[in-house]
Amino acid sequence: MNTNKPPFLGFGLGLRPQHYEEILSGSPAIDWFEVLSENYMIAGGQPLHILDQICERYPVVMHGVSLSIASTAKLDMDYLRDLKTLAERVKPKWISDHLCWTGVHGVNLHDLLPIPYTEEALNHVVDRVSQVQDFLGRRLTLENVSSYVTFGQSEMTEWEFVSEVANRADCWLLFDINNVYVSSFNHGFSTDDFLQGIPRDRVVQFHVAGHSHEDDHIVDTHDHPVCNEVWDFYREAVTHFGRVSTMIERDDNIPPLAELVEELDHARDIAREVGETARATAAE
Amino acid sequence: MSSFKDFQDSFQRGILERDDTILGDVKDSATESRSVLFGVYRHAYVARLAEILGDDYERVHAYLGDEGFARLVKAYIDANPSDRRSARWFGRHMPTFARETAPFSNHREVSEIAALEKALSDAFDGPNAEPLSIDQLAALAVDDWPRLVFQPHPTTIRLTFTTNAADIWSALKDETAPPKLERFPEPQALLVWRQDFMAHFRPFGAEESMMWNEAARGVRFGVLCEMVAMFGGEDEAELRAATYLRGWIDLGLLTGFKLE
Repeated sequence: MNTNKPPFLGFGLGLRPQHYEEILSGSPAIDWFEVLSENYMIAGGQPLHILDQICERYPVVMHGVSLSIASTAKLDMDYLRDLKTLAERVKPKWISDHLCWTGVHGVNLHDLLPIPYTEEALNHVVDRVSQVQDFLGRRLTLENVSSYVTFGQSEMTEWEFVSEVANRADCWLLFDINNVYVSSFNHGFSTDDFLQGIPRDRVVQFHVAGHSHEDDHIVDTHDHPVCNEVWDFYREAVTHFGRVSTMIERDDNIPPLAELVEELDHARDIAREVGETARATAAE
Repeated sequence: MSSFKDFQDSFQRGILERDDTILGDVKDSATESRSVLFGVYRHAYVARLAEILGDDYERVHAYLGDEGFARLVKAYIDANPSDRRSARWFGRHMPTFARETAPFSNHREVSEIAALEKALSDAFDGPNAEPLSIDQLAALAVDDWPRLVFQPHPTTIRLTFTTNAADIWSALKDETAPPKLERFPEPQALLVWRQDFMAHFRPFGAEESMMWNEAARGVRFGVLCEMVAMFGGEDEAELRAATYLRGWIDLGLLTGFKLE
């Protein structure tokens, strides 16, 4: 199994069909792309043809939404085989999915569902991650999800649960800045507590995204520009974790590519400022 | 059964069956009740699946209007919980569902528009195969032609319509008023396929449709010519068969041949 920590890729975007032509006909200032695994688990045609061209030109990572790593249903070996086949084609720098479940009893609810943070759930997830990593022959990267509920049976915090999964299963983490912000607002915890609670050496990627404010809670819709509060938290995360591959994640209301590149440049500026401050402090 | 298993079972029933047992595990937040918070998941489930169906069946939506489409979508979601990892396949039962479920079953064109949309999607990301070129056939000896058996492109899908659903689809795609509904005295065939990364469709006349079906079943070209002669008359039957074949090659409907 390849256990080397993935390289720093710079600043990337999620590959969306609306931008295919512009990406391939120009040279936008994007260092790498994240592709949605399920969108390319198909037989053929234009999407795979475009994907091949993107893979020739850019570093690519694969990001899934249906691994359902925390489900108590049996592992879906057909899905894992398709994922492995796609990985052989894409040769991604890493493969990520979410620390959640998506359904049981053969049903997929197409949502990233929350877990009660119990020892029992932890043991189950750790075991499943190990099985999947053995099958794929590489370490998985798992992302913290946004959640809207908490459970009476939880025995630890989310960050304790996430950290334990990463340490015990020996996997990487995709730290979603927006999801931590959304969950902290919904559940009233401190983003700093979350940040400090995550092992630095496990984080290989950041997601930065927008969200929607409802009356008294925030929904992680990924359909808005990144707001100032999330940018502030990104700055704190870069300060804490150092140089981490960063991606702007927009799933809906897809704007023109230039708008996302602008957001990406803002992330670059923040990372550069944090780096300069750190170097100046070290030199003092 | 473990409690984590019970929890997931209860959570899923809370979404699919609106069973409130799961609320016993959920905590109120400082500002919202547990039912409002869990309601985010209930709402997201229906909204996400409705969005998937809206993307997959854009013309059915345009034809039925918002209200009619919302009724179809709700009925479909209730009857067909998703059983695939990729959302790409969630709506795959829609043509059958609309054909068999009242009141949509009383409007056959709804199911046929859905069938065309589904076939175009299936052709769009169906398997790749190199199309057969006319040069490959031109190299054959004349005596070999009757022994030719053709291989259809794997993205070809033949549909049979009882209404002018294809014309309605085209008008809706062009954002023009759809033509008046027309019911055909005899079902008409339509072929969907992919060429140059784009999904296309074209109507098939009765004779060409018959020849395509037989060719796709592996019937030799010599026999296909005889069948065309029986179907439409002997006069220039071979020429008609060869013309159909040439059209199929030009459109990329065939991928290969063998001699039998």
